[in-house]
Amino acid sequence: MSFKDQIAFVRQHIRRNRLRVFMTVLAATMGTAFLIVLASVGFGLHKTIKDEVLSNQMVTQVEVYSEELTDAKTDAMKKMDHVKAVVHRKQLAPTAFAELDGYTAGLNAYFTDFGEEATSGFKLAEGRFPEKPGEVVVGSGFAEQLIDEKATVKEGEELPTYKEALLGKTVTFKFEPLKEGAVSEEWPLKIVGIKEAPGKDWAFDGYLYMDDRLMPEMEKGLAAVSPEPEEGVEPDGFTYPQVNVYVDKLENVKSVTGALKDDGYSVYSVSEEIEQLDVFFLALKAGLVFVGTIAILIASIGIFNTMTMAVTERTREIGVMKALGAGPKLIQRLFIMESAWIGIVGTVIAVLISYGVSMVANAVLPVIVTAALGEDGADLGVTFSVIPWQLVLIASAISLGVAMISGWRPARKATKTDVIGALRHEL
Amino acid sequence: MIEVKGLAHSFRVGKKGKETEVPVLKGLTLQAADGEIVSIVGRSGSGKSTLLHILAGFLQPDSGRVLVDGTDLTAMNEAQRAAYRLDHFGFVFQNFQLMPGLTAFENVELPLTLKGVPAAERRRKVEELLESTGLSDIRSHYPNELSGGQQQRVGIARALITEPPIIFADEPTGSLDSETEQDILLLIQSLNRTYGITFVIITHDDEVAAIADRTYRMHDGELAEGGLRHVI
Ligand SMILES: Nc1ncnc2c1ncn2[C@@H]1O[C@H](COP(=O)(O)OP(=O)(O)OP(=O)(O)O)[C@@H](O)[C@H]1O
Ligand SMILES: [Mg+2]
Repeated sequence: MSFKDQIAFVRQHIRRNRLRVFMTVLAATMGTAFLIVLASVGFGLHKTIKDEVLSNQMVTQVEVYSEELTDAKTDAMKKMDHVKAVVHRKQLAPTAFAELDGYTAGLNAYFTDFGEEATSGFKLAEGRFPEKPGEVVVGSGFAEQLIDEKATVKEGEELPTYKEALLGKTVTFKFEPLKEGAVSEEWPLKIVGIKEAPGKDWAFDGYLYMDDRLMPEMEKGLAAVSPEPEEGVEPDGFTYPQVNVYVDKLENVKSVTGALKDDGYSVYSVSEEIEQLDVFFLALKAGLVFVGTIAILIASIGIFNTMTMAVTERTREIGVMKALGAGPKLIQRLFIMESAWIGIVGTVIAVLISYGVSMVANAVLPVIVTAALGEDGADLGVTFSVIPWQLVLIASAISLGVAMISGWRPARKATKTDVIGALRHEL
Repeated sequence: MIEVKGLAHSFRVGKKGKETEVPVLKGLTLQAADGEIVSIVGRSGSGKSTLLHILAGFLQPDSGRVLVDGTDLTAMNEAQRAAYRLDHFGFVFQNFQLMPGLTAFENVELPLTLKGVPAAERRRKVEELLESTGLSDIRSHYPNELSGGQQQRVGIARALITEPPIIFADEPTGSLDSETEQDILLLIQSLNRTYGITFVIITHDDEVAAIADRTYRMHDGELAEGGLRHVI
C-alpha cells in the first residue's frame, strides 16, 4: 500500500469519526499549548533578567584583580589573543582638591591612558580626549562636587554648587599638606572633555580623569608636603590599580578569562554571571517542561481511549483487510498514523494558540501590572513570555512522541486481531 | 493446484485450566487441480469453515501441510501468509464482508490499493471489471445501499480484481434467495470457464454442488470424495 493511499485511508477513518477525533485533538492541543505557554514564562523571565544584566555592564569587560598590577603586566595582557584594550586606571589614594572660581571639590581621581580608554569604548558627551598631560576629562557629575564653602546659607540648606559650563575651564589641583606648614604645589588642569553620563539614573560619576604621564610629577609633589617616611614602615601607596580587559567579541570572553585565571589573576566578568544565570534558568525551564508534560500525558489518555475504541469498532474491517492480504505491519502503521495525525494536528494548533497567548500576555499583562502598581510600574521592561523555536521543537517532540506511544498499544491490538473471529463479528 | 496432506486440527474449549480438546479435522487429504470448481459439503459443525480457514492461511493447523503450487503455506509466518493471499487468493464470504465506509467502487479497488497498484491503473481495472460484471450503475453506492445479491456481486468483483488463480468461497449463496443464487452460480461458472480460476466453495446446498467438478464430503473430521448426491 503506497504512503499516499495510507494517508487517504487514515483520513477516511478520521472523517467517519469527526467528533470523537476532534475532542481528542482538542485535549492534545490543550496539553501541548499548556506546556508551551508554561515554559515560555521561563524563557521570558530568563530573557528579562539577562537583558537587565547585560544593560548594566559591558559584556565584553573583564575586571582583573591581583596583589600587584604593574604596567608591565597590563602590557602583557594587551598582547593576549582577542584582547581589544587593557585599561589600567590608577585611582589616586591621598586626599587632594580641585579649585575653580572659588568653588572647591574633594577629589576622586584616576590616572589613565586615554588611548586605551578610547578603544575600550570610553565615550565623551562633550569635547575631545586630552592630548597633553595638562588636559583632563571629568565625569558628568563633577560640577555637583564643586562647592562654594564660604557661601552663607540658612540652617539645613545645602551649599551652592558650580552651575556654569565646565568645558574649557581650568581647575587647580593640589594635595592636602600632611606636614605642618607645608604648601602643596599646584597643577592647572584644563577640562577638554566631559564623560558621557552612566546608563543608570542612580549612577553618579564625579571622577577626574587625568593623563597617567602626570603621575610621577604629582607623586613627587605629594612627597614634598608629606613627612619623611619612618624607618621600617611601608609608605601608603600613591594609587590603587583598577584593571579592565576588553575582549573583542562576547564569545571570546570565556577563553580570555580562562587565560587570565591560568596566569594567576582573579577575574570577574558579566559573562560568568550570565553563565550561572543560564544554568539556573535551564533548570527552571526543564522543570516547567516537566510539569507541562504531565498535561500532555493526561491528554494521551484521551488518545489511548480514542484509538482503543477505533480498533474495537473496526474489528471486522481489520479482519477483512487481513483476510484480503494486509500484513500486520501495515495494520499497525495505519493505526499509529491515525494517532500521529491527532498528535500532529494537536501540536500545530497548540503552537499557533501558544504564540497568540504569548503575544496577548506580553501586551496585556504589563498594562495590568502597571495599573496595579500605579505610576511606579511604568515601563517595567519585563517580557512575560517568549517562545523560541527550540521550545516549539521540544514541545512538538514530546507531544508527537506521547501521541504515538499512546497509539502504539491499540495499534498492536489491531495487528493481533484474529481474522476468523473478526469476520464473525457482527456490526 | 492445491494439495492438502494429513491435515489435523483441534480446538481447546472450556474454562481456563479445565480445557478440553475438540478434534475438528482428523488428518484429511484434499486435492484441487487448476481450473477446477471444488465443492466441500457437510453437516453444520462438521469443520468445513475450519478447513477453508486453514487453506486460506487464516489459521495454522496442528499438523499436516497445505501446498499451493508446491508452496507450503503452513511453513510461513503470518506476514508471509498475508502477502501470499494478496497475490494468489480471492475471497467470497457468506455475509459479503464489504467495508461499510467504502463505496462499491472503492471496495473492489481495495485489494489493488493494498498491493500498491498506482491510482490510475486501479481506476482503469476496476471500471473494466464493474462494466463486465454489470455493476457500473451501483459503483458509488455504499454497502448498506445495496441488496444482498448486489453486495455479493461486489464481493465477487473484489475477489476477482487481483486476477488470483484461486478463489475461496464460504457459503457464497448462503444469504441469498434461490433466484439470486442462480445468478451468482452462473457468474462463478462463467468466471471459471473464461479465466480458468480455481474455486473452492463450501456449501450445504445441492445447487452449488451441482456446478462443481469435484465434490468432497466432510464427515466426522474426515473428507471423502463424492458429493451429496452419492450420500443421499
Ligand atoms: N474458535 C473456535 N474455538 C473452539 N471451537 C471451534 C472454534 N471454531 C470452530 N469450532 C468448532 O469446530 C467445529 C467446526 O466448526 P466449523 O465452523 O468449521 O463448522 P462448519 O462445518 O463450517 O459449520 P457450518 O456449516 O455451520 O458453517 C464446530 O464444532 C465448532 O464448534
Ligand atoms: Mg461454516
